[in-house]
Amino acid sequence: MVDSRRRDFLRKSIIGLATTLTSGLWFDMLAKGIVPLPSLTFFEERFGVSREDMKKILEIALSKGGEFSELFFEYRTLNSVSMEEDIIKDSSENITLGVGIRVLKGAQTGYGYTDDFSFEKMKQTALTAAAIASGNSQFTIANLSEKFSGLHVYDLNLPMSDVKLDTKVDLVKKAYAAAQTYDRRIIKVQSSLIDELQYITIVNSEGLIIADVRPQMRLVVSATAEENGIYNTGFKSAGGRVGLNFFSTTETPEVTGKKASEEAIHLLSAVDPVAGEQPVVLGSRQSGVMIHEAVGHPLEADANRKKTSIMWDKLGTQVANPIVTIYDDPTIPFYRGSYNVDDEGTIPKKKMLIENGKLVGYLQDRLSAKLMNMEPDGHGRRQTYRNIPIPRMANTVLAPGKDLVDDIIRSVKKGFYAETYQGGQVSDTGKFTFSVNMGYLIEDGKITRPVKNATLIGTNVQILNEVEMIANDTAFFLGTCGKDGQSAAVTAGTPTLKIRQMTVGGRK
Amino acid sequence: MSDRNLLQLAEELVEFGRKNGASQVEVSIQQGTNFSVDVREGEIEKLMEAVSKNLDLRVFVDSKMARASSSDLSKDTLSKLILNAIQRAKLSSSDPFAGLPEKETITIDVASLKIYDPAVLDMAPEKKIAAAKEVEAICLKDKHIAKSYGSTFNTHIGERFLANSNGFSGAYRRTNCSNGISLQAGKDPNLFDEGWSDTSVHLEKLESPETIAKKAIYRVTRLIGGKKIESQNVPVVFEPPMTAGLLNFFATCVSGNSIYLKQSFLAGKIGEKVGNDLVNIIDDGLMPGALGTELFDGEGVPLRKTVLIEKGTLKNYLLDTYSAKKLKMKTTGNSGGPNNLYFAAGSSTQEQIIKSVDKGLFLIGTIGFGEVPTTGDISRGAFGIWIEKGELTYPVAEITISGNLAQLLQGIQMVGNDLQFKDSITGPTVKVAEMTVGGK
Repeated sequence: MVDSRRRDFLRKSIIGLATTLTSGLWFDMLAKGIVPLPSLTFFEERFGVSREDMKKILEIALSKGGEFSELFFEYRTLNSVSMEEDIIKDSSENITLGVGIRVLKGAQTGYGYTDDFSFEKMKQTALTAAAIASGNSQFTIANLSEKFSGLHVYDLNLPMSDVKLDTKVDLVKKAYAAAQTYDRRIIKVQSSLIDELQYITIVNSEGLIIADVRPQMRLVVSATAEENGIYNTGFKSAGGRVGLNFFSTTETPEVTGKKASEEAIHLLSAVDPVAGEQPVVLGSRQSGVMIHEAVGHPLEADANRKKTSIMWDKLGTQVANPIVTIYDDPTIPFYRGSYNVDDEGTIPKKKMLIENGKLVGYLQDRLSAKLMNMEPDGHGRRQTYRNIPIPRMANTVLAPGKDLVDDIIRSVKKGFYAETYQGGQVSDTGKFTFSVNMGYLIEDGKITRPVKNATLIGTNVQILNEVEMIANDTAFFLGTCGKDGQSAAVTAGTPTLKIRQMTVGGRK
Repeated sequence: MSDRNLLQLAEELVEFGRKNGASQVEVSIQQGTNFSVDVREGEIEKLMEAVSKNLDLRVFVDSKMARASSSDLSKDTLSKLILNAIQRAKLSSSDPFAGLPEKETITIDVASLKIYDPAVLDMAPEKKIAAAKEVEAICLKDKHIAKSYGSTFNTHIGERFLANSNGFSGAYRRTNCSNGISLQAGKDPNLFDEGWSDTSVHLEKLESPETIAKKAIYRVTRLIGGKKIESQNVPVVFEPPMTAGLLNFFATCVSGNSIYLKQSFLAGKIGEKVGNDLVNIIDDGLMPGALGTELFDGEGVPLRKTVLIEKGTLKNYLLDTYSAKKLKMKTTGNSGGPNNLYFAAGSSTQEQIIKSVDKGLFLIGTIGFGEVPTTGDISRGAFGIWIEKGELTYPVAEITISGNLAQLLQGIQMVGNDLQFKDSITGPTVKVAEMTVGGK
């Protein structure tokens, strides 16, 4: 088996619902109409873990000479409802409950976790994590002092976990019907609604105690069209850190369903791409995946601290055309990748990565920031209590430029326009690949025939320097990013932009 | 909780669900004991040890289904989860195909499967750390290696307990261990990364640190200097891990769900010639000591051997109880996907296969997701070594390969004799007539 260090991003990680995560035993609280708020006493009230016990466990974790200890308590509920073949086929409710205990010593991490909150089990887990160090306790635990984020990036007014199943079923049916009735050639539709609510409390040996409660919701539709024996599938998802109001204020389920079918129908007339190097225009919204892969991953601090990223020695240097500015911002309200607090208790901020073409920063977590003598910026994230936090993206954005979309298209005599993607992958060495679900040919300055099965390939250094034109029609899309075996909810956004030359793979 | 208690818990929950209105209930519990050590530049980077538990359940009320899962195994939580699931099932739609598998008696003796090795459990952490360190130390001595991403040694002991209201109650345990490393070679901006990791049920069968290091060094250094080539259509020779990658995509296309949803180009093709005579693809869940071998699948159905393609003719799909009923077929014990899926060996050596190519690509790596089960289309980033006049010449990088699985299966020209069962999805070296290589 080949060991892969690649990071990937999958757009349609959809229907395989409910294998890992969580759902709503919230009925007892929510039935009483209590709006969930971040509560520092949540794990004490619900599971009997007192603050005194937390402090003792932190001490035990440092008993063998560790420098820093931390407890990450998590309770998450995840619900899903899905429709297929005209019936509501499946619904699920999933609970994730546990605590992860981390001990740091220099660049070394000791980690253990348990789903049992008894003092004895937590103590045993703390001793496991403590074993990364070998010696005697050298550090004392500061008194726990409460910290509040001050950020409010979630819409917790009507969290989906509080919404009755029949309302959810109705939303799923509406999306399904809109997709199915869009065109007679649509032969299969799948529609699912996935919502979660994650309660976390983080305490550490520096005396931090902080809590957060994070909603996450996504409606996902896939539609398959058939004509003359040719089948194609389109996808669309909508959602974020939002609740029921999203469907009336931002995007109705009908629109989501319709867009999935629209893509499937367009693909019916699609041709295979012309393989070879050519000018490539990246459409706004989904091309955010390119920014995420080609720029975001190589700028995560861990790979730069370890000098494995192609960008490790380029801080302060010009790495892109000066028209390129890229940042990551976990604080955009209601976005899928946003949060009030990261998964190690740091309050996040917008982080500039490339400013006018110059590399100005890396995405940091605590450990890398400390070892690189930089500041943590709230990008330490983990999938669940079973994982250590690592530097991750949240909402990654390529800032708008001054060009007009029409001018960009007009400037291309013969080239490729990428619109939607199946996913992308990048390695630390900066080599990336994107699978385009649907694109178009550009001929004599005009968008012409739809194209399927195209692959874009290149290196991040090359692409950053070959961005020639940038429009101002920024749009975002929702994704799930994989790194070191952990997945994270993210978004990425970009305006329409032109790459001077890029390799397009195809079948001609 | 001891083994017995977890199986008992599953049985009690089945009973609880039945008493509270479910016509059928299935409860499955997994317990894993995990150890992993990451070593980088000679130091331990991360040491992790934990026991994790997870419970999955399905309830059926008449023909309506609902599911739930939890890592919290307290009875209070679990009984609420079941009651909730029963409520949700009632709001779901009736589906005549939904339901538990018919009871099938397991006749296999679990010991004969050889999927549990106590040596994995007994191995001292110091030895695991030493093995990971040794792999890295050997690699870093090689002057072509620029950097190590780190080596990792993992062990896992998994226990499964499953009970359902059709009277099934069973448990088994399995082990696996792995050791591997990722490396970087070349010079900025032409850096390459690759590695090698070996996984085994039995500790004594795990490749030695020397072997792992040697393979990792070989795999990354052969990429150094990789360059683009002109776009063209050529024969492609798949190195065994690449044949496995192709089979992975095949597994999606042949899975019962893709078939009944008509999201696969193989839907409705049973009995048809979907490949040429050289194509034989088999899934064998009972192969002793293999990584995909289990006693029963996720629904408690005993595993078995299933021929999927025989001399090019499509014989069966990978089916669970539901998709089997939909297709009026019988479950193949594949509710968890393929078990040990392999492309049967042919008679040629890898050298003979390469010799037969005048101009073509020896495919050694792919990147990206470009596989569409509905059409069989494949389009991915690729790495390889260029073949000229039957000889491996220079490495190629930043290229794409594209083709179509239906056409590839018809165009298999030679099949290697180098099949090894080191992974649950595996195949020998295979030569296909033509794919499009995208480059300059």
